[in-house]
Amino acid sequence: MLRYVVRRLLLVVPILLGLSILVFVWVRALPGSPISSLLGERATPALVAQYRERYGYNEPVYKQYVKQLRSWSRADFGTSIATHREVKDEIKQRFPATAELTVAALIFAVAIGVPLGFFAAKKHGRLFDHASLFISLIGVSIPVFFLAIILKYIFAVRLGWLPTVGRIDVLIETKHPTNFYVLDAIITGDWHALWDVLKHLILPAVALGSIPLAIVTRITRAAVLDVQNEDYVRTARAKGLPPLTVDRRHVLRNALLPISTIIGLQAGLLLSGAVLTETVFAFPGLGSWLRDAIFNRDYPVIQGGILFVAFLFVMVNLIVDISYAIINPRIRYS
Amino acid sequence: MSVAELESAEIVLEAPSGLWREARHRLVRNPGAIVGAVLVSVFVVTAIFAAQIAPDKPNEQNLSLLQNGQAVGPSSAHWLGIDTLGRDEFSRIVYGARFSLLVGIVAVAIGLSIGMLLGSIAGYAGGLLDSVIMRAMDVMLSIPQLLLAIGIVAALGPGLGKIMVAIGIVNIPIFARLLRGSVLAQKENDFVLAARAIGVRRRGILFAHIIPNSISPVIVQGTLAMATAIIDVAGLGFLGLGPQDPATPEWGTMLTNANDYLVSTPFLAIVPGVAIVLSVLGFNLIGDGLREALDPKLRGRH
Repeated sequence: MLRYVVRRLLLVVPILLGLSILVFVWVRALPGSPISSLLGERATPALVAQYRERYGYNEPVYKQYVKQLRSWSRADFGTSIATHREVKDEIKQRFPATAELTVAALIFAVAIGVPLGFFAAKKHGRLFDHASLFISLIGVSIPVFFLAIILKYIFAVRLGWLPTVGRIDVLIETKHPTNFYVLDAIITGDWHALWDVLKHLILPAVALGSIPLAIVTRITRAAVLDVQNEDYVRTARAKGLPPLTVDRRHVLRNALLPISTIIGLQAGLLLSGAVLTETVFAFPGLGSWLRDAIFNRDYPVIQGGILFVAFLFVMVNLIVDISYAIINPRIRYS
Repeated sequence: MSVAELESAEIVLEAPSGLWREARHRLVRNPGAIVGAVLVSVFVVTAIFAAQIAPDKPNEQNLSLLQNGQAVGPSSAHWLGIDTLGRDEFSRIVYGARFSLLVGIVAVAIGLSIGMLLGSIAGYAGGLLDSVIMRAMDVMLSIPQLLLAIGIVAALGPGLGKIMVAIGIVNIPIFARLLRGSVLAQKENDFVLAARAIGVRRRGILFAHIIPNSISPVIVQGTLAMATAIIDVAGLGFLGLGPQDPATPEWGTMLTNANDYLVSTPFLAIVPGVAIVLSVLGFNLIGDGLREALDPKLRGRH
């Protein structure tokens, strides 16, 4: 087991190095140098020269890269051009919002998708099965932002059941020790704030969770259909175990293996979708922050944001792979 | 060609023709695939004959059609209503099909050709070249798709052409991985050994024997990539990275504008959204149908 974990950890190193090179080259490929975006187009040549010296742009490229890598490893991504705040601090504030949103979306997808896929497999070839296939097909075909707009229109604008924008009502004053608003509300025992935060999460989470929901449903259905005909399931049924026990202990438990792997693959989709969903709901997470940064040509933010999100994505996949090896002994020993 | 070469060529030719004939049989019996084909045909025909189908020019403004300065819902004269600037929504949707189709085809073509090339080289050459290419692909895959596309567009600058390139690049590692896997599997086949034994050059084997036999998963992925490309284009357009002329009837850009007028004119958001869903659904249905039809495990079953 330890050997597998070490091998998997070592695999991350070249990816992170490659990623840092990619982002380093990318910043230099951007239209206009970072200096001119920092100083504006009318900066005097003398000032530009001064800044070039100060930020080390006169040194050889490999030295610049090593220097950059050092500051990145300290989580130092520079300061935002638009807000003059440290990119690191903004990430600290915005990451919890996106984390809450993606986790809520994932919970929604799994809580609905697994039972839906399971019953579709049980009713294989029947109307319920076809209906679930059709819904999951629509789920992967509908753009996240379009679904978000529709949900917002129906439940927020028309019915007025849920709020249209933001993470929490502006009138609610509450402390945010962790910036994870759900957690904060629980820690401080502010149930009114908790209810409000959850209400703000519902629509974005449902919109963002639509694609994972479709995929989880399909995979669960396929996995259950696969497992159902295994010898051990037939044995369990033949020895007279109640059908529900067989489903729970033998069918579902084994079918959950493939489902657990695809959750890691969903992380990329969720992080991509978060940019769009957060834009529709003006949700103050990493996604809407990056979107604004693109408009302001705020390169330190785009650079720091993309690096951070990619790092997150690599780490999520690492954790999923390792935990998969823990649940599935076949991987460990191969 | 020597007799041996002719024979080996024959072996190769025989396999795909059987596969394709069977696949076609299975495809026409799959109702989902037929619905998909109909949707995609409508989409393609609309895109090609947009000028003949649309009653108006997409940017023709007729402010007198507005009621109290507001957009007007569907009517018999204007099937999908009038947008906030007095333009016929139906005509704009019809012209919008052109952009989605064009971007989809170009983006997938870029991703597919470069990805196939890299993947087949990696798979066939092996060794250091394989490691270098595939690690580079891993790095690209370590950035979530849309973010990678956003990063590329940020470097290239916004615009329709840049979006095509960006989404194309995003697709490269997907096709490269797919083809590498396929090539590795094909490499050990007897017909490849036979070709090598009679002295066919490496490049010849790759292009004449291995790639044609690895192509079916690529076709499936290509169809599904068209679907994702249409969604991604609309997504980038929605974020404001699409065509910089706001009058361009691109579906994603149209949705951005509609989002601002959601309360007064919801149909302006629904119409382009439904257009996206239907075209994406079409490609997904065909892709799924093809996957089932080309799956060698299902061969011989009807």
